[in-house]
Amino acid sequence: MNTTLNTNGEVKPNLHVKLGNVEFKNPVLVASGTFGYGAEAKQFCDIEGLGGVVTKSVSWKPRMGNSPRRIVETASGMLNSIGLANVGVDTFVKEKLPYLAKFDTKIIANIAASSMEEYRDVLEKIEANAVPNLAGYEINISCPNVKDGGLSFGTNVERTEELTTLLRASTDRLLIIKLTPNVTSVAPFAQACERAGADAISLINTLVGMSIDIYTHEPRLNTVTGGLSGPAIKPIALAQVYQARKACSLPIIGIGGIVSAEDAIEFFIAGATMVQVGTANFVYPDAGVRVAAGLEKYLQQQKIAEVTELVNTLRVKAELKAAGW
Amino acid sequence: MTSSSVPSVVTQRRILAPGLVTLRFRNPNVAHNTIAGQFVNILPKAGFSDPMLRRPFSVYWTQGDEAEIIIQEHGRGTGILANTREGEILDVLGPLGRPWMFDSADYMTAVLLIGGVGVASMPLLTRKFELDEVPLHTFYGARTSSLIARDHLANVHIATDDGSEGFHGSNVMLLRSYLESGKLESPKIFACGPTGMMRAAQSLAAEFSIPCEVSLETEMACGIGICQGCPVRTEESVFAVTGRRYRLACTDGPSFKAEEIVL
Ligand SMILES: Cc1cc2nc3c(=O)[nH]c(=O)nc-3n(C[C@H](O)[C@H](O)[C@H](O)COP(=O)(O)OP(=O)(O)OC[C@H]3O[C@@H](n4cnc5c(N)ncnc54)[C@H](O)[C@@H]3O)c2cc1C
Ligand SMILES: Cc1cc2nc3c(=O)[nH]c(=O)nc-3n(C[C@H](O)[C@H](O)[C@H](O)COP(=O)(O)O)c2cc1C
Ligand code: FES
Repeated sequence: MNTTLNTNGEVKPNLHVKLGNVEFKNPVLVASGTFGYGAEAKQFCDIEGLGGVVTKSVSWKPRMGNSPRRIVETASGMLNSIGLANVGVDTFVKEKLPYLAKFDTKIIANIAASSMEEYRDVLEKIEANAVPNLAGYEINISCPNVKDGGLSFGTNVERTEELTTLLRASTDRLLIIKLTPNVTSVAPFAQACERAGADAISLINTLVGMSIDIYTHEPRLNTVTGGLSGPAIKPIALAQVYQARKACSLPIIGIGGIVSAEDAIEFFIAGATMVQVGTANFVYPDAGVRVAAGLEKYLQQQKIAEVTELVNTLRVKAELKAAGW
Repeated sequence: MTSSSVPSVVTQRRILAPGLVTLRFRNPNVAHNTIAGQFVNILPKAGFSDPMLRRPFSVYWTQGDEAEIIIQEHGRGTGILANTREGEILDVLGPLGRPWMFDSADYMTAVLLIGGVGVASMPLLTRKFELDEVPLHTFYGARTSSLIARDHLANVHIATDDGSEGFHGSNVMLLRSYLESGKLESPKIFACGPTGMMRAAQSLAAEFSIPCEVSLETEMACGIGICQGCPVRTEESVFAVTGRRYRLACTDGPSFKAEEIVL
């Protein structure tokens, strides 16, 4: 299945991917909450080198976020309890969206809310103020760090389906549902999204985690628990993407601990069509561009013409597959 | 053009005291563009392993194409960095953050209030005041005499907890005696040190109705405003006007007007 390139490596591999009817210049997005609204990182990252920017979760009203301490470093990862601090949808459509509209890359607006109506109202407000490069929406039903957030949707299959159905009626743009790993099995959620007409699913959001100061016996994070991200969660994310791949036929956006092209390629092989780079941006603000560049190099070396050829190419022995692995 | 992190070779390492070292490194961008009060974010270890995140350090000094930081060993990240050898490469992102607000028109005498490794941003500030011929006084508090980083400061009044040098007691008490005696003409305090010292500076400034700025060392993940991990709580009056409950230490700070934040 490797397509041989006809010249001496001069031919550029094709990094373009299509999701629904939207074409992205490469399959690498930056994850919600790890790249602000674009402006913050502009000085350090060539935004146009990214497949797209998923913006920080936005809600109807501005949210202040949780009290400090909001971040704790852990082994090859970090815990956060930001609490969806965001500018609110008014400022988002007035300032943030027009700013990102200037760049030759796609925007995916991530939405967080505490009720069906709020999700719909935020989406419709953005839809009414859409800019040409707005590709669609990622619906955050998976933030573990607020009590009134979407996790009550993300851990309930019926509510996931109901919400997806509702939002589907409000937009023809990409509708991506962001799933949580904090459930027994991701499969029924993936299937619910498919039944309700989502264009894709993205996973994973952060895992619930905790860190304790042994001298004060206090939790290090203000909210006691927080969301774990970074390389520490990659194996879990990969397994969840694989499970979702087996459970539904929706395109998958793989997220979790991706810091290099090699990491991203594992996700493609497991069944993801695109990936998002999150925590890595905190170390290298241009991590997404680095991943895309590494991906191109790998394809060239392996003489693979199209990145899409990698997708869902995991080789599992037939007898193992038959046994349900 | 974007400026990502830059490999910077360490050209000099000095041990000032046990657990207190300076590292000088070559980085023309940081050396030429840093303004007093800004910081750099340095990776203790490559490879996204453990520790994974960068560590913030004030720029201590700049000369030619080289910049210097001063490191107090605290945990693992600073432990690794403090043991960097000359010739090794540091991964440096910066300069970051807003400079000290030395341009405010509300003072005539600069008062630098330093606690411990809070000295880090003061040499560049001192250089700026000397250049602008602003009268300045430095009140430097340390646990003991051997922990004082003396370079590039001016008009220093020392206070030590153990009485090994200068005033026996806190630098805030020493500053208070100066303020009470009226020796400082229209002063503004620039404070950096432990939270306790900065709280004391905050109330001292309020008591004497003088401007005061404090530079904070809040935990950070990114240092550039993309993670929202470094909130600083705003005073009620600021919240009432701006609607903002928190500011970000990395991009709105690290220094803030003392009366605008809750320490
Ligand atoms: C703007 C700014 C300027 C600073 N300038 C200097 C300086 O010039 N010299 C110096 O010695 N130190 C400075 N610090 C403090 C220094 O960054 C911390 O001591 C260091 O990050 C601790 O890392 P660690 O791995 O040794 O400690 P650990 O406790 O193992 O660190 C764990 C995590 O907590 C964070 N952390 C812990 N304590 C602090 C702290 N006090 N401030 C910020 N983050 C913390 C670390 O970044 C890391 O993510 C500065 C901090 C800030 C925010
Ligand atoms: C500091 C921080 C803030 C985040 N904020 C959001 C958010 O607002 N909305 C959201 O859907 N996911 C948010 N996430 C989750 C990430 O988008 C991503 O799903 C997760 O971090 C796993 O990827 P990573 O390991 O590459 O970081 C946040 C993650 C971090 C670390
Ligand atoms: S450290 Fe990330 S926003 Fe300040």
